[in-house]
Amino acid sequence: MSDSSELNAYFGPKRDERPLGIVLDGSLSTGLQVKLDPRYAIEKLAVGRYIVIQSRKTGSTFFGIITDIALGATTPDLLHHPPDAADTFLLDVYSGGVAYATLHVSPMLMLDEEDDQPRPIKTIPSHFSAIYEATAQDVARVFGEEDDEHFYIGTPLDMEDVQVNLDLARFVERSSGVFGKTGTGKSFITRTILAGIIRSGLASTLIFDMHNDYGWSVMDESGREYKGLRQLFPDGRVSVITLDEATSRARGSKFDGILTIGYEEIEPEDIELLASLLGLSDIQTGALYFLYRRLGKKWISKLLDEQYEEEVQNILESGRIVGGTLGAIQRKLESFIPRMGFLVPGEGSKVVTDIFQRLNIGTSVVLEFGNYGNTLAAYVLVANYLTRRIHASYVHQKNLAAGKKGEEPRPLVIVIEEAHKFLDPSVAGHTIFGNIARELRKYNVTLLIVDQRPSGIEDEVMSQIGTRVTCLLDNEADIRAVFSGVSGASALREVLARLDTRQQALILGHAVPMPVVVRTRDYDQRFYAAIGIGEPIDSAGSKQSGADKLFPD
Amino acid sequence: MPESPMMIGRVTRCSTRGFVGAMQISENALPVFGSLCQAEAQGGRSYVVGLVYDISITDDQFARQLAGLDEVPQEQIADGQLNRQVPVEFSALAVGFHDDDGFHQSLPPQPPLTLASVFSMVPKDGIDFTSELHFLQMILNAPQLPVDELLATTLRLSAQARPEEERERFLLQAGREVARLLAQDLTRLENILRGLRAKE
Ligand SMILES: Nc1ncnc2c1ncn2[C@@H]1O[C@H](COP(=O)(O)OP(=O)(O)OP(=O)(O)O)[C@@H](O)[C@H]1O
Ligand SMILES: [Mg+2]
Repeated sequence: MSDSSELNAYFGPKRDERPLGIVLDGSLSTGLQVKLDPRYAIEKLAVGRYIVIQSRKTGSTFFGIITDIALGATTPDLLHHPPDAADTFLLDVYSGGVAYATLHVSPMLMLDEEDDQPRPIKTIPSHFSAIYEATAQDVARVFGEEDDEHFYIGTPLDMEDVQVNLDLARFVERSSGVFGKTGTGKSFITRTILAGIIRSGLASTLIFDMHNDYGWSVMDESGREYKGLRQLFPDGRVSVITLDEATSRARGSKFDGILTIGYEEIEPEDIELLASLLGLSDIQTGALYFLYRRLGKKWISKLLDEQYEEEVQNILESGRIVGGTLGAIQRKLESFIPRMGFLVPGEGSKVVTDIFQRLNIGTSVVLEFGNYGNTLAAYVLVANYLTRRIHASYVHQKNLAAGKKGEEPRPLVIVIEEAHKFLDPSVAGHTIFGNIARELRKYNVTLLIVDQRPSGIEDEVMSQIGTRVTCLLDNEADIRAVFSGVSGASALREVLARLDTRQQALILGHAVPMPVVVRTRDYDQRFYAAIGIGEPIDSAGSKQSGADKLFPD
Repeated sequence: MPESPMMIGRVTRCSTRGFVGAMQISENALPVFGSLCQAEAQGGRSYVVGLVYDISITDDQFARQLAGLDEVPQEQIADGQLNRQVPVEFSALAVGFHDDDGFHQSLPPQPPLTLASVFSMVPKDGIDFTSELHFLQMILNAPQLPVDELLATTLRLSAQARPEEERERFLLQAGREVARLLAQDLTRLENILRGLRAKE
C-alpha cells in the first residue's frame, strides 16, 4: 500500500468523516434544505461558503453554496413555551434536536464518478445525502488552473490558497458587467480583468475612461498610486488617447494621441442620446434631424454662429419647426458644445479610423476624459459618437470577411461606465449600446459595462449580460436587476447583500463554472509582476515593441 | 452471564411483553422501581431483560388480623414483613433480551417459563444495555403504566451506574432521545427532563 500522503495528493485529504448535515428537502429550482448536525456550531458557518454533497445512492458529487442559514423547531409549541434560559440542561437537550439549524444550499455543479469536469446540474442529490464543507482541493478542482485563457481574479472567501480563474474567452464572448455601490472596487476589478484580457490577446479593448482610472497612474483617496494599463503594458499593447490634453499633461500621463471631434462630424444621432442631459424635449430632439437635413454637415456651426443667422431663420418659413423650438435648441447646444474643448469647428482629427486601426491590430485604447469626465454629457456624447462609428467599421469589416474579401476583425470589448445612462429603458431600444448588447457577438464587439445602478439598465439588455461581477449592492432594485435572467440565482441575494464593502465580489455567469464570491486580487506590485511588468523581455523578441526592433542595440 | 448477579425471585406469570415475579423478602434484595432485571428463558439460552415498574405486597389473613390489633409487638411486625405467606410481587416490562450475540432492544422471542430465576442486572450489564436507547420507545408505548416516571427513573439510575465523568453526557444523549420521541408534547417532555435531573 502506498503511503497516505501519496494518496492524499491524488484524492485530496480525506474528508472530515462527519458530515455537516443531511439533505432533507428541496428542489432544483429552489435549492436544498439541509439539517445541520447538532455537533456543528451554526455560528461557524457562513453564507457563501462552499459545500460538497455526496449522493447517497450514486456516488456523484455535487458542489454548491450555502445561501441561507436558519433556525427551526420540530414543534411550533417551542416558540410559545421556550425553555427557561437558566436551565442549561434543557437548553442543551433541545438544541440540535427539537430546536435545530438548517442550511439552505444551492447546488451548482455535479461531478459523476467517471467525469473529470464538473457539469451544470440537471438533478439534485437524493434524500439524506451527506453534505460536507468543501476542501480547498474541491474548490480548486472547480475553478481549474490558471493558463493563457484563464485569468486569476481572486480567491474564494476563507480559501486564500485557491485561485478563482475567469474563463476570458467566455468573458469576452458575451457582454459582461461590473456592478457595485460607489467605492466598492468596481474600477479596480475592471482594471484587473482588463489587464487579463489584454495580456491574453483574446480581444482588444476600447475603454471610455471617465475618471482617469485606467490609462496612466491612478491615485486612491489615501494618495496611494497604482499603475494604469499603459504602464502595465509598456510594449505598446495599450494606447492612451486624451480628450483633455492639458489635464493629462498636468497629471503626467503619457498619451499617444489627442481626440478632437469636428462639428461637421456630429450627427443628430450623436446628440439624441444627450436629450435628457441637455434638457431637449421630444419635439426638439425630433427637430434635430430636420435641421441636419436642411443645414447639412455644417449644421452645428450654423446653429451656433450668428454669421448664419439668416439661413437658419429661413428654415422657419417651411413651417416644419417653430421659432420657440429652434431657439431652445440653439440655446441648449450653445450652453454645451462651445464649452467642450475637444469639439472643434470644422472637420476634427478623423480619429475614428486611427482608433479602429489600433484596435484591429490588437492594441487596446484608453480614452482619457481628463476633466471632461465630470460632464456626463461629454462622456455620453463621445462614447456614443465613437462607438457608433467603430461598430460600423466592425460591421463593415465583418461583412468583408464573410464575403472572403477581408480578415475577421479582432474581437473588441468596449468598456463604459455609468452604463445606465446609455442603456436605460427610454434609450436602450435605439442606441448603439443597446444594439451591441442584444446582437451578442455577431460583429465581434461586446460591452463591458461598469455601473453602480444596474436597476437603471433595461431588462432585456441586462438579461444579455453573460458574466456579472457584482460588488456590494444594497438597493433592492439593483440587487434584483443583477440577478435578472439568472435561473436559480435568486438564492444568492443573501450572499450578495453580505459582501464586504470593498474588494469582494460575487461573480456569476458565463465565465465561471459556478457563482463564486471572491476577495479580488490585490492590485499591487505582485500583481504587476504577475502581469509581466519588470519581466525581462525575452530575446526572441515576441514582446519587443516595434521601436526596439528597429533599433537593436 | 454476569459475574454474580443476585437472584431476586422467580417468575410466576409472564407473556412476551413482561413478567411478574415473586420472592421472599430480604430487604436488600428488594428490587427498585425503574431498575433492570433479567429472567432466564429458552432453557438458559437467553435472558429476558425486564424493567421493574411495580412492586406489590398483597395482604394475607395474618397481616390483616395483626393490623387490627391495638398494639403489635416489634417481633411480630418483623416476622410479618419478612416471613410472609404471600410473597412480594414485582412486575417487569420486557424491554429486550440477551443471547449469544449480546443485548437486543426488542421483545424477546419467548417469555421466561414459570419459576424461571430472576436476577438483578449488574451495573456493567446495565451500562451495556443502556448504551442504546431504543428501549425508551417500548416504555412509552406501554399502556397503563406510569410511563413518564418510569422513563425518568430508569434513565437516572442508568446515569448513576456510570462513572461520574460520563453521567452528564449520558443524560444529555438520553434527554435528546426522549425529546425526539416526545417533541410533540413539550409539557410532558419537560416534566420527564426535570425528572432526569432530580435527586442528583
Ligand atoms: N483589488 C484591489 N487592490 C487594492 N485596493 C483596492 C482593490 N479594490 C479596491 N481597492 C480600494 O478601494 C478603493 C475603491 O475602489 P474603486 O475606485 O475601484 O471603487 P469604485 O467602485 O470604482 O468606486 P466609484 O463608484 O466611486 O467609481 C480604491 O481606491 C482602493 O483603495
Ligand atoms: Mg470607479
